[in-house]
Amino acid sequence: MATVQVSEAEKVYILHGIRDDLRADGRGCEDYRHMEIETDVVSNTDGSARVTLGHTAVLVGIKAEIGKPRPLVPNEGYLEFFVDCSANATPEFEGRGGEELGIELSNMLYKVFNKHCLDLRSLCISEGEHCWLLYVDVLLLQCDGNLYDAISVAVKAALFNTKIPRVHISADEDGGKEIELSDDPYDCMRVDVENVPCIVTLCKIGHRHVVDATLQEKACSVASVLVSVTHSGSVTCTRKVGGGSLDPESIFEMIEAGKRVGKSLHAPLMKLLQQEESLGKRRQKVGFLG
Amino acid sequence: MLKSKTFVKKTRSGGVIKVVREHYLRDDIWCGSEACSECKQDSTVLQTDASIESSLCSYPHYLLPDSNVVLHQIDVLEHPVIQNVIILQTVVQEVRHRSAPVYKRLKDILHEKEKHFYTFTNEHRRETFVEREPGESANDRNDRAIRVAAKWYSQHLNTAETQAEGLKVVLLTNDQGNKQKAEEGGLLVFKCEEYIKSLIANPELVDLLALSNDDKNEITSSKVLYPEHLPLSRVQAGIKSGSYLQGTFRASRDNYLEATVFVQGEGDTSTEVILQGLQHLNRAVHQDVVAVQLLPREQWVAPSSVVMQDEGAGKDDGVEEDEEEKVPKVSIAESSRKPTGKVVGIIKRNWRPFCGMLNVSQIKESTRHLFTPADRRIPRIRVETRQSSTLAGQRIMVAIDGWPKDSRYPNGHFVRSLGGAGEKDTEEEVLLLEHDVPHQAFSQAVLSFLPQMPWVITPEDMKQREDLRSLTVCSVDPPGCTDIDDALHCRELENGNLEVGVHIADVSHFIRPGNALDKEAANRGTTVYLCGKRIDMVPELLSSNLCSLRSNVERLAFSCIWEMNNKAEILKTRFTKSVINSKASLTYAEAQMRIDDTSLNDDVTKSLRGLNKLAKIFKRKRIEKGALTLSSLEVRFHIDSETHDPIELQTKELLETNSMVEEFMLLANISVAQKIYDEFSECALLRKHPAPPLSNYDILFKAAKSKNVEIHTDSAKALADSLDVARVDGFPYFNTLLRILATRCMMQAVYFCSGMDSDFHHYGLASPIYTHFTSPIRRYADIIVHRLLAVAIGADSTYPDLMDKHKQSVLCNNLNYRHKMSQYAQRASVAFHTQLFFKNRGILNEEGYVLFVRKNAIIVLIPKFGLEGTVFFDSKDKAAPCVVFDEEGPTLTVEQHTFHIFDKVKVTISLDASNIQHQKIRMSLVHPVIPGVSVPASDAEPQAKKLKVDR
Repeated sequence: MATVQVSEAEKVYILHGIRDDLRADGRGCEDYRHMEIETDVVSNTDGSARVTLGHTAVLVGIKAEIGKPRPLVPNEGYLEFFVDCSANATPEFEGRGGEELGIELSNMLYKVFNKHCLDLRSLCISEGEHCWLLYVDVLLLQCDGNLYDAISVAVKAALFNTKIPRVHISADEDGGKEIELSDDPYDCMRVDVENVPCIVTLCKIGHRHVVDATLQEKACSVASVLVSVTHSGSVTCTRKVGGGSLDPESIFEMIEAGKRVGKSLHAPLMKLLQQEESLGKRRQKVGFLG
Repeated sequence: MLKSKTFVKKTRSGGVIKVVREHYLRDDIWCGSEACSECKQDSTVLQTDASIESSLCSYPHYLLPDSNVVLHQIDVLEHPVIQNVIILQTVVQEVRHRSAPVYKRLKDILHEKEKHFYTFTNEHRRETFVEREPGESANDRNDRAIRVAAKWYSQHLNTAETQAEGLKVVLLTNDQGNKQKAEEGGLLVFKCEEYIKSLIANPELVDLLALSNDDKNEITSSKVLYPEHLPLSRVQAGIKSGSYLQGTFRASRDNYLEATVFVQGEGDTSTEVILQGLQHLNRAVHQDVVAVQLLPREQWVAPSSVVMQDEGAGKDDGVEEDEEEKVPKVSIAESSRKPTGKVVGIIKRNWRPFCGMLNVSQIKESTRHLFTPADRRIPRIRVETRQSSTLAGQRIMVAIDGWPKDSRYPNGHFVRSLGGAGEKDTEEEVLLLEHDVPHQAFSQAVLSFLPQMPWVITPEDMKQREDLRSLTVCSVDPPGCTDIDDALHCRELENGNLEVGVHIADVSHFIRPGNALDKEAANRGTTVYLCGKRIDMVPELLSSNLCSLRSNVERLAFSCIWEMNNKAEILKTRFTKSVINSKASLTYAEAQMRIDDTSLNDDVTKSLRGLNKLAKIFKRKRIEKGALTLSSLEVRFHIDSETHDPIELQTKELLETNSMVEEFMLLANISVAQKIYDEFSECALLRKHPAPPLSNYDILFKAAKSKNVEIHTDSAKALADSLDVARVDGFPYFNTLLRILATRCMMQAVYFCSGMDSDFHHYGLASPIYTHFTSPIRRYADIIVHRLLAVAIGADSTYPDLMDKHKQSVLCNNLNYRHKMSQYAQRASVAFHTQLFFKNRGILNEEGYVLFVRKNAIIVLIPKFGLEGTVFFDSKDKAAPCVVFDEEGPTLTVEQHTFHIFDKVKVTISLDASNIQHQKIRMSLVHPVIPGVSVPASDAEPQAKKLKVDR
């Protein structure tokens, strides 16, 4: 992971600030940085979103393809994740440098998003034969801490934006099945994202914890906890990352804080997405140069 | 300005992908009108003074047809009266997508300057681009795009700066909904028929109108005659699952209620499915690609051998009800039953305009008539015309528009008239059209690839070539030949050996791969020789001038040069591109005279003698190996130079020099075949002649046996030997007759690509490998062989398609098809000229031989004319005589007399013109005299002689 070197004096400054609920950039402990979201940014995907959080920038594209359902769950489709750490984000990622982080991130995303958060049955086309397979491609464009949160928001936004072409199964009298495609490009299926969680990363710094840690803050942290929270506040997954240890008391506190922050994150996000959608074609596209 | 177009499509493997294309919009797409000063266009297509005399629109106007009008009324648009038409890009794209032939015709019109047709790329002009809206179908979007463009045009032409006042745009559409919306939008809109009918000055245009849907309903009764066709998706699913079979529909020539579908199975297996009865044929037309469903085995039938022509229907539609009963329902032996099925869907229509004649309706004022195509396999077509009185007795072309399920016949419309039936030009046109021989004049695009005249050989050309101008080369051809593609030379070398060269016109030098000229030649495939007319494969400048190896001019050639000893053993073979200068262009007769005239001793004559000597040895060797010399009578017409009518018939005679040229051509072909196969074992273009299956020889066996002659068919050699010794005393013509019969047993020789086949043998020539190299002016296969050989010797560069065996295989199929059709066309032309000849002659009495014996007829060959005809023993108006057919003989006993194969008979020959579309030579028996059957010898003989005196 991209890291920065922080001197002892800086560390003390950050620690003291956090103790007083005033972080170096003026935020409180449970405040996010400024976040920008734009959907439908890559025209040749079925759904896409671009999210910037501070200086962290990620792009998520979703491609829907027809595949075969897994034998254990013949009536469900599934998602596949791939995270590409571009060398644009940091020179460390050059060559195969970003591979390890990419795998770690995609494994985490797979765990968080494949269970209960989506109605996977709606992705099934015909039981045991065809289902929709959503390839979620995440591209890290710039790293400035708190990748998980930024990615999870982008994934949720991209899923919201995803338009899967509607297909019909036509069966003739002798059982031969044929997939038929609707001829209207506007005739498509949407994914229900209501229960899609967002990840909140809480970093333990000193005796307190903060959300949305910058790289400098991260360097002061011994360990952090990921909490994935749905809009209703239920936790779908927690995970501890980092080398340091945490006492049970503070883990409990952090999860509680994560729930609180996560819940308050969903409502404005959904509002924003719906607002953007309602603009339709009149929306001014910003893209990457905006 | 950038827009993106997005659509989803299904891939072949069943996946679904989203495709995004960038779409640029611009402001500099001009309107193309002369009247417009606003657009900064270089040249304009649409005239200011655009007036078609119409009672609906008295002002100058441009027409703007929608896609369906173009698709269905292309015949109208092609009419010279229709000018100043705006064709939108939306329309062009839709037409291209829906029908390739119409698209091609539309392209042709757009290129024609006099028609003033303008393509407006509305999809890229900013103001006229429309994006598809949610819930809007693709067709609705296109209609809207057309309306928007029409609106734009009418506003654009009416802005201040236009010079012509009152210039308007008229939208033509047949769609009621579209029309209504256009009217709401304030556009000038008419239905296509409304508009065409308003063109008072040109009533003939109305006939060209294709019938639209609402017209059809009023014609036909509401009774549903045919089962519904399945939609394409279900047909395809059915073919995938194996419940339906896909194949080409072939109607029977003799029985309009019967057809076969040729189903190509996996690998070489292919089956034929029989279809019987109108219901099962279900509106399929000859050559359509259809889906058939097999009937249960107990309903399988055998092909009926009955000749049935659709006659009853000519009178009225009411009589057709019990036609189905006419199909003979005889119980047939299990063994002769064949897979039987019914058509469930049409995969691809292969309709083309058909030639034929109008059966004028008995009701005088009626505008609806039936049309009888010349090809018996095509059903009659219902057409609507007001010109029936002028069209009666003419050959016309009709296109099919559709075949609704409640109509007995397909509906069509008149396309054009070819001329009076029976006239020479008309009939020639008909036979070219019916045999699908491309015979239009070469297009400008094709001609643009011809070399500039005057043409000279440049030093550039000489680089790869050997200079053989000093050699004594000469050509030997039939009289009047202008496309000379081969020349020969022979000279003695210092070591006592002989050098023989075959020089072939270097056509591949002028026709470069992939250009329009090459494509046109590849499509034509072959030059077609009709009596007194030649349909060239390449433009005349090449065929009769630059590529023709005429005497005393320098010509580029591809030479094949052998060194051989006096025993005609080949010591060395080499190939080279060269430049030659032929010293003499001789006819076969002239060459023969030179060889025979001992007083002549010039170089050309010596060369000819050397060639002749070697050729004899080659021929002997070839025959020893088992090459067949078969016989078919070729007829030449002496044609009157003024009337172009045939005045005399003559069977071609063969001179020694004919076979001399032939031998060397065979030798060159074989040498080249070997060379290109060695070099390119995967993609050499070769020609093979498969050995016929033994059952083909049945008729030959039986015929020979009747004269106590043994024929062996174990190998080509055995056949050739037994044919040689087959002689009957006092019957000198027997051997020729036997050879004619043997020819009929043979298979067709075909072109193929060496990488796609393993059997290369040429049965007739007894050669393990063969190709065509020697006539590149008139055969496209030879051009490909030239290119291959040029690459092999490093004289030319290769190109990808040449090395692609699949592409070459496709090309071979086309060449084989064109070759076959050209032969049919040639035969049809000879038949037509024979008819003309006998028409002028009246009735003749001639001697002939029985060639075949059939169930109710004998087929007689008249050696004098090379003419074959049938003598029927049952006719409609007379009581049939007692006829007994014995298949074993085969013999036919009529009353007391028994006919055998090869019997000598005397017949009268006359022209039967009762059916003007199918005129034929009628023969009647004169001798032997059978009471009630034979006719008295006509006294036509003196009359014919008188004719000769008159001339």
